[in-house]
Amino acid sequence: MPRKIVIWVVLAALVVTFVGVLGARMAEGAVLPEIILGPLGLTDALFYLFAAMTFAGAATVALSKNILHSALGLLAALMGTGSLYVFLSADFLAVTQLLVYIGGVLVLILFAVMLTNRITEVKISNASLGLVGGGALLVATVPVLVFVAIATPWATIVPAELAPTTREIGNAFLTRWLLPFELASLVLLATLIGAVVIARKELKQDEPDTSVS
Amino acid sequence: MLHVGLQHFLVVGALLFSLGLLTVATRRNAIGVLMGVELILNGANVNFVAFNHYVTGGVSGQVFALFVIVLAAAEAAVGLAIVLAIFQTFRSIDVRLADTMRE
Amino acid sequence: MEQLIGNNLASVAGFRPELVLTFGSIALLVLDLVLRRSRSRRALLAGAAVIVLGLAAVLLAAQSTASTPLFNGMIASDAFATFFKWIFLAAGFLTVLIVAQGDDYPSPRVGEFYGLLLAVVLGMFLMASATNLLTIYMSIELVSMVSYVLAGFRKSDRKAAEASLKYVIYGSVASGVMLFGMSYLYGLLGTFDVLAFAPKIAELSATTGAAGAATKLALVVAVVFVSSGVGYKIASVPWHMWCPDVYEGAPTPFTAFLSVGPKAAGFALALRFFLGSFAGPMGANGMAESIAGIPWPAVIGVLSAVTMTLGNLTAIAQTNLKRLLAYSSIAHAGYTLMGLATLSALGMQGVMIYMLIYLVMNLGAFLVVIVVAEATGSESIFDYSGLVHRHPLAAIAFGIFLFSLTGLPPFAGFTGKWYLFYAVIERASGPAGFWYGALAVVGALNTAVSLYYYARIIRAMFLEAPHVTDRVAPKLGYQLMLGAFSAAILVFGIWWAPIVEWSQRSMVMLRG
Repeated sequence: MPRKIVIWVVLAALVVTFVGVLGARMAEGAVLPEIILGPLGLTDALFYLFAAMTFAGAATVALSKNILHSALGLLAALMGTGSLYVFLSADFLAVTQLLVYIGGVLVLILFAVMLTNRITEVKISNASLGLVGGGALLVATVPVLVFVAIATPWATIVPAELAPTTREIGNAFLTRWLLPFELASLVLLATLIGAVVIARKELKQDEPDTSVS
Repeated sequence: MLHVGLQHFLVVGALLFSLGLLTVATRRNAIGVLMGVELILNGANVNFVAFNHYVTGGVSGQVFALFVIVLAAAEAAVGLAIVLAIFQTFRSIDVRLADTMRE
Repeated sequence: MEQLIGNNLASVAGFRPELVLTFGSIALLVLDLVLRRSRSRRALLAGAAVIVLGLAAVLLAAQSTASTPLFNGMIASDAFATFFKWIFLAAGFLTVLIVAQGDDYPSPRVGEFYGLLLAVVLGMFLMASATNLLTIYMSIELVSMVSYVLAGFRKSDRKAAEASLKYVIYGSVASGVMLFGMSYLYGLLGTFDVLAFAPKIAELSATTGAAGAATKLALVVAVVFVSSGVGYKIASVPWHMWCPDVYEGAPTPFTAFLSVGPKAAGFALALRFFLGSFAGPMGANGMAESIAGIPWPAVIGVLSAVTMTLGNLTAIAQTNLKRLLAYSSIAHAGYTLMGLATLSALGMQGVMIYMLIYLVMNLGAFLVVIVVAEATGSESIFDYSGLVHRHPLAAIAFGIFLFSLTGLPPFAGFTGKWYLFYAVIERASGPAGFWYGALAVVGALNTAVSLYYYARIIRAMFLEAPHVTDRVAPKLGYQLMLGAFSAAILVFGIWWAPIVEWSQRSMVMLRG
């Protein structure tokens, strides 16, 4: 178990460093170094590495019998996608992914896993039922989606150089996307109140009797 | 073919989405199902950002992805609050055990 | 950039009802704390909610219905959206009235309920007017996420907790799938602006050969995925699974609201999305064709037939009234989908009229369930036996609502169904007419099936002897509401011209 944890910590540190360093370099306007490794450039090799990590993490989420392993798989998948964003000139998004998704959502999920289990007992109901049905679903969706992804003649352009996007995103939020931006704050407020309402203990005191009508 | 282009990202997105669907379909643990939903949302986000970079330019796809992240966080908060409430009443979060209704 | 900011500032003028709802929602949450120990807390909070809704109604009435894009094309303000906004305001208002009298929501919680309910109404306003994929997604999520909470509001109640768990799981999956579809639409069309879709799709369909086929497949996949989000909101097959459990488990006033508000919002969204961007403009004969021959009207027609059949056949076996009404509401989603499948002005009008009438008759039906549940503590059909001897008004009103839901004349439900069926039959002589004819036949058979289980309730109420005694008489407020609903059903069953004219005027939709 400790060795596993060490591996996870090292992995997480690697990704955070990668995203951090690249994000910082992109913010300075530098480009990725073009190092050739055999048939692949360094960028390509890194892409395959992170894509593999994402896929492995997602597969763990889907297939692991242990909910805690699923949560760690989700961590790997989220970090992997976060790193992929860096290749797509989305530095701000990559950092947001790390902060909000991994720092927020994943921690929330881990808390929920812990709270709904006795912490010592790790194996809980996460048994995969209906693997046949799930497999059939997979067989039905994957080929179609992969075919759509590969065969469709997407109208691609020559992508812009990697450049910092934060300023542009900030401007977009407060001009073109102002309404959704404000709406998001309302959604957050409403769900925050809702989550509190749902999760808090039932109020017993100062309730005027309303049961008799 | 080996050099990374739009299709590579789309395949990653499609795989994330499919694995998310698989998770949702086979998991009995409610938290597991919510994890599957996160995978689905990430699959969509990878697509949005990839299309933004390779097809449209600008930042509109990234902005959309940011909103998705925000809403996913809110949804996770509500979903997990409900899971905890269920756990307090049922002492279990097995999706199939919570089945007092069906007659 | 100056222009974008200027447009945002100018758009506020067309956004006043929504602003009132936003600030009203927040104000109610604050008021809830201020009035924490007040004796007349329930009445004051309900009054505040009614005032907010009334103010929104006044501003909505004062607002021009000219078609204008707002906030740089994020939403549209037009007559079509305004029509549905009135439905949402009415649904919110009636729900507040019902909740204020009942004890489904305990007094310490009722302020939060009103505040969050107003947020849902705001979300539905935005669903009816969204013209951008992002606002579509966010408004659906606003409605959904707050609904999850409101369904599971009573914590000690196992059924309610279970209902909200089912709701959150199905809802988040459906919206995730919709989002994935949206990502493909974005990649294919290069924009989030729904109004700009139609010309781009037409452009895309010009490509032929293998590439054209692949493009078409991608489009179909995207549309099918996006429709899952909408289908979930209107509870159509195969996204209906949450519906019976949530309807049964959620507090009944909120179930009533869910069955009319978000369903109407889902149809408004579907009409705008499909008719506005995946169909060409309507010709002189009031018919449109789907762009680039994407077979979505056929898909929706099949969904419609399956949805109504499944809803009606399953409803037959139900003994819990809330569950029965849940399946019946699935069936009604199926009928209404017929109007969307016809892709014509008449079909669109049919959907609008039906949603308006459905609001009254379904809220009324649920109100009777509330009245009986308060009197007997039961939602079982067996406790409705002899209702006419116990609560004559409730029994007669329920009879009216059920006949109206069946679609029999001279009740308003007949008017709604008439327009839907007429739209389908109008199509039956055109291309693919056989399929439209088949759809109309399926719809007619389903109406017959639905008469069977509605009549079962009516028989229990009127012909069987009562075998339970009631604890309380129905409250005066409930009686007044039941009377008003029944009167509306009867009046509009005979004199439907105002509804038809209003919907006729409201069929103006902002187009790209």
